[in-house]
Parts: sequence; C-alpha cells; structure tokens
Amino acid sequence: MNVDISDVTRRFGRVQAVAGVSLETGPGVFGLLGPNGAGKTTLLRMLATLIPPSSGQLRLLGRDPGGYGPRREIRRRLGYLPQNLGYYPGFTVAEFVEYFALLKEMPPHRVPQAVATAIERVDLGGSARAKLRSLSGGMLRRAGIAQAIVNEPELLLLDEPTAGLDPEQRMTFRALLRDLGQRATVIVSTHLVEDVGAACGEVALMNAGKIVFHGTPDELAGRGEGTGAAGDAPLERGYSAVLAAARSAPTAAA
Amino acid sequence: MAATTSAPAQHRPPRVSSAVPRGAARLLSVELRRNAMPWILPLIAALFWFDSYRPSTGTAPLYSLRTFWNMGQGHTIIDFGPFVAGVAAWMGSRDGRRGMADLVTATSRPHWAAQLTTWAATAIWAVAAYLVFVGIMFAMYARQGVGGAPPWWWVAVGAMAVAAFSAAGFAIGAYWPTRFAAPVAAFGGFLAMVTSSQTGFSHVNGWAQILPTNSNGNFGNPLTDAGIFYPWMPDVPIVRIMFLAGLAVAALGLTGLPARAGGRGLRRAAALIAIAGVALAGTAVGLTTTARLGPHGIVIPALHDAASDKAVTYTPSCDRAAGLPVCLNPAYRRWLPDVRDALAPLLVELSGLPGAPVRASQVAADNASSPPAITFGGHPPALRMSLGQLNLPGQCGFCRGPVASTQFADEMRLLTAHAFVGAGAGVGSPVQQAVQAVLLNAAGVPFAAQPRAIAAAENLPKPAPGTTGPVYAAARRLDALPVAARHAWLVAHLAAVRAGGLTLADLP
Repeated sequence: MNVDISDVTRRFGRVQAVAGVSLETGPGVFGLLGPNGAGKTTLLRMLATLIPPSSGQLRLLGRDPGGYGPRREIRRRLGYLPQNLGYYPGFTVAEFVEYFALLKEMPPHRVPQAVATAIERVDLGGSARAKLRSLSGGMLRRAGIAQAIVNEPELLLLDEPTAGLDPEQRMTFRALLRDLGQRATVIVSTHLVEDVGAACGEVALMNAGKIVFHGTPDELAGRGEGTGAAGDAPLERGYSAVLAAARSAPTAAA
Repeated sequence: MAATTSAPAQHRPPRVSSAVPRGAARLLSVELRRNAMPWILPLIAALFWFDSYRPSTGTAPLYSLRTFWNMGQGHTIIDFGPFVAGVAAWMGSRDGRRGMADLVTATSRPHWAAQLTTWAATAIWAVAAYLVFVGIMFAMYARQGVGGAPPWWWVAVGAMAVAAFSAAGFAIGAYWPTRFAAPVAAFGGFLAMVTSSQTGFSHVNGWAQILPTNSNGNFGNPLTDAGIFYPWMPDVPIVRIMFLAGLAVAALGLTGLPARAGGRGLRRAAALIAIAGVALAGTAVGLTTTARLGPHGIVIPALHDAASDKAVTYTPSCDRAAGLPVCLNPAYRRWLPDVRDALAPLLVELSGLPGAPVRASQVAADNASSPPAITFGGHPPALRMSLGQLNLPGQCGFCRGPVASTQFADEMRLLTAHAFVGAGAGVGSPVQQAVQAVLLNAAGVPFAAQPRAIAAAENLPKPAPGTTGPVYAAARRLDALPVAARHAWLVAHLAAVRAGGLTLADLP
C-alpha cells in the first residue's frame, strides 16, 4: 500500500480538523470529496508530510514519515499541488518546473527531459518560456501540476487541481490523471464530483474531519437513488445523500 | 478498504548522493538567473559613483589618499550595505510572501539547503558587484596614474561586509516573511552604518576598531605611505573579516533553526553553526581590544606577522637639483619636478656650508615619523623628506582648494631651512629664526612673504607673526652683507647657531 493511515487525527488548538481517519490505498486515482472545512486539505498536508498527525499511524510508500530520513525519501517520490499555489512571478514555466525537479533531488542529467515532458503533459509546451506572471489562472494551475508530476511521483497529492481550468483542459487533465494512476497513487481533493466520476476508481467523502463514505464512484451514486437528495447528476445526488445522512447522525461511517 | 489496482509502482528512485552537488549547482544557476539583486545594482552603481568614486578623485593620486574615504571610512560599504540587506530580506521572505513555503518544504531537499542556495545567489550577485565596482574604480585610478598599491585587504573587508549584510537581511526576511521585511532590513542596515560611522570617528582604538567605517590608525596622515614604503597592515582587516564572517555565519545558522528547515540533525548543525558564528565575531571583538598603534598602522599582537613590517623595495626616481641628486619613491614620481624646483635655490645657498646635504631622499611617513617632515641626517649628510606629511601640489582633497606649486615650494624651502639651522620640532632660537629667514630670502622667499609661508605650513610651530621684530631686523642686517661675507660668517658660526649659543646681537 502506498498510503496506509490508521485512526489519524490532527488538532489545531481546540479545533479538530481530522478526527480518526483510516485509509489504505495503492496505485490508482483516489478522489477525496467533501464540503468546505471537512478536513480534506489538512489530510492532504499530512500525507504531504508537511504536518504530523496529532495521533494515529501514518505510513506512506512503506515508510513512517515521522523520521527525517524516511520523510526525505517519501518526499523524493512525492508530488504535491497545494490548494493555494504560490509561484515566483519572475520564473518562466520551464524554470519553475526545473526548480522543483531539482528540489526533489532528481538526477541533474534527467531534469531537462523530465521538465519538457511534464510541461508537455499539461499542454504548456508553447508557454514554456513565458514568465509565470504573464499566465492566466488556469495556465498557472497547469504549471503547478507540471511541477507536481515532474519527478514521476509514486504518490501524487492534488488539492483542487482543476480549479480555474476550462472544460477542455479539465477533460485533458482527467485523461492525464487516469494515465498517472496506472502506476502511482493519485489522491485528488476536489469539490467537483464530475471529476471524480470521470477519473477516479475510488472515492472517499469527508465531513467534519471524518470519512463518511469510501467506495467506488458508482457506489456513491447508488447512495443517492430514491432518496430525493438534491443534485443534477447521480454522483451529486449520492454526495448530497451521504452528507445529509452523516449530518443527521454524526457518528455514522460508511 | 481496497486499492483500485495492485500493480506495483515502476518508479526507480534516483541515485542521490552523486547527484546532489550537481543538482545544487543547477539550483544555484536558476537562483542566479532569477535573483532580485541585479535590479538594484544600477541604483547602487549611481550611489557608488557619486559617494565613493567622485569624492576620492579630489585627493592626490596616491592609493592611500584616494581610498581614505571610500575604503578607510567605509563609504563603499555604506553604499552597498543597506540596499543589499533590503534585497536579501526580499529574497529571504520570498517563499513566505509567495505562499510557496508548503510547496518547497514538501520536497526532499532540506528547506534550509534551498534557502541557503537562494541566499548564496543573492550574496554572489552582491559581492561580485562590489568587487566589479571596486575593480573598475581601481582601474580608473590606474589610468590616472595613481601611485602605490591598492589596499586589497580593505577590499576583502568590504566584500565580507556585503556578504554579512546579505546574510543578516536574508535572516530577517526568512523570519519575517512580509513585504515590509525589505524596507525594514534596508533601514536597519542604514542605521547600523550611521552608528558605525559616528562611533568610529570618536573612538580611535579598542573595540571600536571592529567597525567597518573606522579609519583611525590605519588610514590618513601620517600613514599616507601605506602601500608605498611599507605594505598595508593586515591586522585590523583580518579581525574585521572575522567579525563580519561571524555575523554572516550566525545569521545563516539562525535560518536553519525552524522546524521546517530540515531534520533534527540538520537543525542541530544549524544551531552549532550559529553559535560558532557568534563565537567568531566575539573573538574578533576581543582581539581588537588588544590592538595598539604601530608605526605602520594598528597592530594586533596575536595576528601580527613580522613580514608585514618589511619595507617595500623600490628603485627610486631621481633628478638633480643644484648638482645634488634628489630621489623620490616612484609612487611620487609625478612630483619630482616640483620637489627639484623647490629645493634647487635653497640647495645653492646651502652649498659649501657645514652640514650641507649631498643628496635629498624621500623617507616614509608613518606613525613613527613625527613632524617636522624634513630632517637632515647621516654621514655624509642627507636631506630626508617625508613628503607624505605634506600637501602636495595639485588636488589635495582635504584642503580648501588645490595646492599651488609655489605654495608647495615655499613650504619645502621653509621646512628645509628650518631643519638646516637646527630648529628641530620647535620654533627655534631667535638666531636660528633669523638665519632661517636669510636663507629663505636668498632662496626666493622674500622676507615679506615668509610670515604667510610659515602660517600656511602644517605641523610647524609658529613664531611671533610679522617681519618687524628684532629677529627680522637681525636677519636684514645679515642679509645686507655681501654674499661671500655672509657665506663666510655662516661657515664660521653655523655650528654655534645650531647649538643655540648665539644671540641676535652676535649677528653681524
């Protein structure tokens, strides 16, 4: 299992952002759904080894990120796109991606090709020499995805990756996700349930720091059938139904 | 919980150990390309031109004088320091300001290593610019025929100061990642330099020797011949480099202390580095308290190398005045005609008198050579000129205006006659003053002009002003004698004049 977490919690002062989450997953695309404040970003930051859990067990790529050596090894094989992507406006797209390839300690001789490949995969080949400050929001997001995948990560964490992408780019991106999921564990946190339906083989729904559903997108869609839950599509109705059930019985789990 | 697939990952981890140094070099290359420092360099260049270079060109063309202002008093550092601190703070705060901290921290290279790379690029730009600017300034000095050797030790102090400013500014930015970090760091740097300057002016020794703007004891009169007759003394530059390096190391060590900087071992190393930096800076300050004034500058016993005291060998530049060789250090070659012309009329008058010099040679100006600047000594007697103590013809820099050749000639003749009659460091006896006046009058400085020449001469005790007293009355009597009779009287009585055994009534 690339991700193996058990009863993980995370508190920020008196606020419990993640409350006893357990999850195992291997290669494939994993969707993480949930309303604002559900704890998705906190969970992803723990998986990105940025913050340690307050309690519980966390193993990533077969290693315990609590120790610096294993954590460094995990980070070498990790790709991460945060929800709020910062950038250096004076860098070009190629420099930005190269910079992160080097921070991930890729062998220098492999960096130029890896940078070119990553940029092509997010369809920014024509803008490789453009300064980041000149890019649109969607293009910046793609540059962020490029830096996340440049090291061909075994664990790829994407927080709202399709925010700002136009429909055509979102479809291309879903194809990229499916491709990446062939050999890596890709965890995608998103509000957009159609992304989950199109790209994810597995999905978890978080609410109030807990996973209230874990299954396939079809199973999630099935939860909405005959419930009269709000939503335009089966997945949305399933999402609404699970959330409504979780809110009415806070201790319920999938 | 089930995984979607069970296919094993194909990714092979890179071989890291050999790749890291090359990777760090590539990272540095990216940082160098996208560093903010080059944007500020035109402003620093303009400031450097107007504050460091231009004022220096008003001084005599000797490195020791040209660099008094910009190296000794640290104006090159003042021009660079605050801006470098500000830009370094901007770079140090970059990840925080740009919301990049998470992204950078989630990579395998320790965050501290990434930060040090950013700092290194910033410092490389700043130090390289400092060295280039100083190099251009020295090249222009060389084209202008400036004499002596450049003060390379002081250039090293400046370069280290720039690096220290960049490290301090970077640490401020790293700990306070806001847009205000840069102006605050720049203003702090400016305040530090103002404080350093004010304290340096008023403290001639002790701990204040550590301040990079303190020229006391190492530059200026009477050390004008540093880099000409003797090497630039490295003792104080070495402790200043130690001090500034200590500050830089401590600041950089501090940036490695936060939890996100790296592993526990790395942070422990950063703490040790910070402590080592503080210890180095403290040791440097301690060493300055042992400093004492030596003949060629400030000596710090624990660091002093006797080789620093060895005179610089040179082949003198010579000419002849009144048939006698007049020799100067080649750094002073441009003033040889002025010296020759100044001395010639007086040497004619002295010819044949007891103790008349057989040659005139320049000697070093240093802390051991107190005024007067011209003395006689040796067997056979030689006229020894410490030109470094005099305002030479041309641009002076710290005078009211350019020094005229006639003014220089009058001073040379006055000091030579003063020394010849044995007046020493005082005003001389009335008879010595009278004989001095006669010799000067014969050498082209009329009685009427002598009070003004005496008043203008630096480091020479001033007798009663005017030419109407008994001294000048006696001088006029002696001067009224035929040349041969006056010469004969001087031959007969000069030893007594020098011994102070005559009164004005004894003069014919």
